[in-house]
Amino acid sequence: MTITTTPVIHLEQLVKTFGAVRALDGLDLAVVPGEVHGFLGPNGSGKSTTMRIVLGLMRASGGRAELFGGDPWHDAARLHARVAYVPGDVALWPGLTGGQCLDVLAAANGGVSEQRRSELVDMFDLDPTKRIRDYSKGNRQKVALIAAFATQAELLVLDEPTSGLDPLMEQTFRHCVRERREAGVTVLLSSHILDEVEALADRVSIIRGGRTVSSGSLADLRRHTRAQVHALTVESPGELPAAAGVADVTVEQLSGHVDSRFTVDAEHLDAVVGLLHRAHITTLTVTPPSLDALFLRNYGDGSEADVEPTVDVVAR
Amino acid sequence: MTTRSERIAPPSPGGTATMLMILWRTQRRALLVWVAVLAGSMIATATAVAGLYDTPAKIHSYATAVASGNALQAINGHVEGIDSLGGVVQDEFGFLAAILLPLLGINLVTRATRQEEESGRVELLLGGRIARHQPTLAALLSTTGAILATAALFAAGLAASGIPVTGSVLYAASLAGLAFVFAGLTALLAQVMVHGRSVYAGALLVLGASYVLRGVGDVTDTWVTWLSPLGWAEKAAPFGQQRWWAIALPLAVGAVLAAAAVLTARSRDLGSALIQGRTGPARATGALLNPVGFAARVHRPAIVGWLAGGLLLTSMMGTLAQQLIDAMTGNPALADAMGISPTAPLEGFVAVTQLYLAVIATGYVVQAVGVLRGEETAGRLEHRLSGTISRTRWLGAHMLVVVAGLLAVVGASSLALAGTVAWSLGDADQTSAILGAGLAYLPAELVLTGLALAVYGVRPRAYPLAWAVYALVAFVAFLGPGLRLPRWALDLAPTTHVGNPPLDAVSAPGLVGLSSLAMLLALIGLLGFRRRNIPQA
Repeated sequence: MTITTTPVIHLEQLVKTFGAVRALDGLDLAVVPGEVHGFLGPNGSGKSTTMRIVLGLMRASGGRAELFGGDPWHDAARLHARVAYVPGDVALWPGLTGGQCLDVLAAANGGVSEQRRSELVDMFDLDPTKRIRDYSKGNRQKVALIAAFATQAELLVLDEPTSGLDPLMEQTFRHCVRERREAGVTVLLSSHILDEVEALADRVSIIRGGRTVSSGSLADLRRHTRAQVHALTVESPGELPAAAGVADVTVEQLSGHVDSRFTVDAEHLDAVVGLLHRAHITTLTVTPPSLDALFLRNYGDGSEADVEPTVDVVAR
Repeated sequence: MTTRSERIAPPSPGGTATMLMILWRTQRRALLVWVAVLAGSMIATATAVAGLYDTPAKIHSYATAVASGNALQAINGHVEGIDSLGGVVQDEFGFLAAILLPLLGINLVTRATRQEEESGRVELLLGGRIARHQPTLAALLSTTGAILATAALFAAGLAASGIPVTGSVLYAASLAGLAFVFAGLTALLAQVMVHGRSVYAGALLVLGASYVLRGVGDVTDTWVTWLSPLGWAEKAAPFGQQRWWAIALPLAVGAVLAAAAVLTARSRDLGSALIQGRTGPARATGALLNPVGFAARVHRPAIVGWLAGGLLLTSMMGTLAQQLIDAMTGNPALADAMGISPTAPLEGFVAVTQLYLAVIATGYVVQAVGVLRGEETAGRLEHRLSGTISRTRWLGAHMLVVVAGLLAVVGASSLALAGTVAWSLGDADQTSAILGAGLAYLPAELVLTGLALAVYGVRPRAYPLAWAVYALVAFVAFLGPGLRLPRWALDLAPTTHVGNPPLDAVSAPGLVGLSSLAMLLALIGLLGFRRRNIPQA
């Protein structure tokens, strides 16, 4: 994926203030065509505000916001022909049926494919004759998702779209996102479900306090964090605790084996494996950091030691 | 040492007390407003009547005027012992009481039962040490408390106006019984209907039927009156025969309904209902897909409701035109209280009715623009504007529908007034004057529309300001003449600048000024709306 393509969404040093509150404080985000971009951050970190600025529902107080190279505030209605949005709290008209809402949203979104609409209604197992007021939260969410997936939009903006769905529907949702991605659609997906982002996203941006704290592919992000290592060796890897880049070491002498657990940063992994090798490896497991670990590290209050993913590895 | 059975003891009656405390904390404002408004309007009526009819002769002429026609009996009820101060109060307050007291029970019970259940808050409480039937029981108890407080204030207010104490107490008790029947009925409906709005609809349907049955019974002077809870209150005859036993009927029926509600609540599943929501069409038709057609759908309830109110008011007034004019010619004090000059009673009567209609029409526009605010706070506007509909187009479509609704309310109600006046007087000479007066109020009504739009567009959180101006218009219209407000106070209401047609000439500069102001305000609203954040908390 080349970053030289014009981004679908390009935000630079975005600032948004509500009175004295600084909701966004220099946020950067670039979403390139054809990618699924995971958008992560704790509650109140500014994810929804960012999406509303991207859609021209709110105007940035500072910085630059571009959608398809245009100004989302001034050209909102024109640009929206290429966008479909699922808001965080799906609110629909209580007196209309699910099917009527689908048609109303479709009309406002510049048309849908009839065939895909009916396929999606089946896939999400939605009864379109029920009134919105009789739907559960999950069913209302399905209506908004079907409406968005059925459009010809080039960009899907999804704000925590699966918060009310059951695991089965969550799978259907993932299937639909992948299917849209294969059709060349770009997706901005904010979520709290790390599994979902890990399964779907090509790239991830993590924001906190209205600022981007990390951005890149999952591989990029992992490169900057520590891997967990568990090794059984014949001899004791004596210098291990003193080796560069190694931390959280516990070494235990078992019958005929030495059991070592530690974390190591990516650039020193090679040297450390050499060290283990000299002690004659019996088994070796290297676990790359999970997204949870990345997430916790970036969400935490900055003191890395508190949230270091390896703290729960204890000696037997 | 506590045993196991003690630790998982069934919820104690303490749960009901806890529920009552929760209700008091969350709903006391509605409760206190109901009590204050009801007691206030009753005491105001009693005081005004006592001041106006200060001699037996005046009371007698009122009694003869009212008893002469069936139409007034159909509206206010058949008052036994009308030839007394208490009887006049009962007649004057009859229409208001027949609507407000049942509404007290319906509103307070619904908001504490099915509406809470629908919102999911009851679920939260039942997860604690509250038993399934206790929210319903607490709702009934707190509503009964409100009814008793209202009745006590009624009795005190009536007695203070110089009405015999026995009659005052019986009258207050009969009205309390009326409210109690509807509280019990609503509690039961809340068990069988799945949505708060269907509970309202069901209870209002029963109220409408009760009103019709009471009217039919009174006009035909038959037992049909006894089929209606409104009839039971009337048959207590507090200023006539004083049938104390007639109060037992509403109390018994209300108690049976309440008990059935509590028992049903105890045995049914949370969130369940006998009558579930119905299904509807799976596809939207052409009109819904167009922004104007969609806006019409969104505004339909407000238009229908206020239109019904306007038609009811104007056709009722029009039907009684001849009788009211006769009564005013015979009783200048009555004419004066309504702000009608005795020299031109017909024009004065039409002018007052059109002013009342303007109060209804301005209420409609403020509510209709408020619907837009509702779309935004509910989160639907955000979704709607994420499509290809621009802000200007969205607002334009909605304002088109709001103004069309205004024309419908004013036009249809004026036509109804013209038709019924012609029927009552036996000639149609007034038709063009009546329609003209209705249309002349449009610029004033549009000022309120513009103001509501400006507040919504620029500072939506300040929307109560639009309602405050509406309250001023209503206050000036209803009480301006009676209270003899100073000129500057009257001038605060846009409706004053129309010129009070057809009694006085329409003020052309007034209409031009109002129209310009309306346009200016609407423009401010549009510009503000295009520039602000959506949603704006």
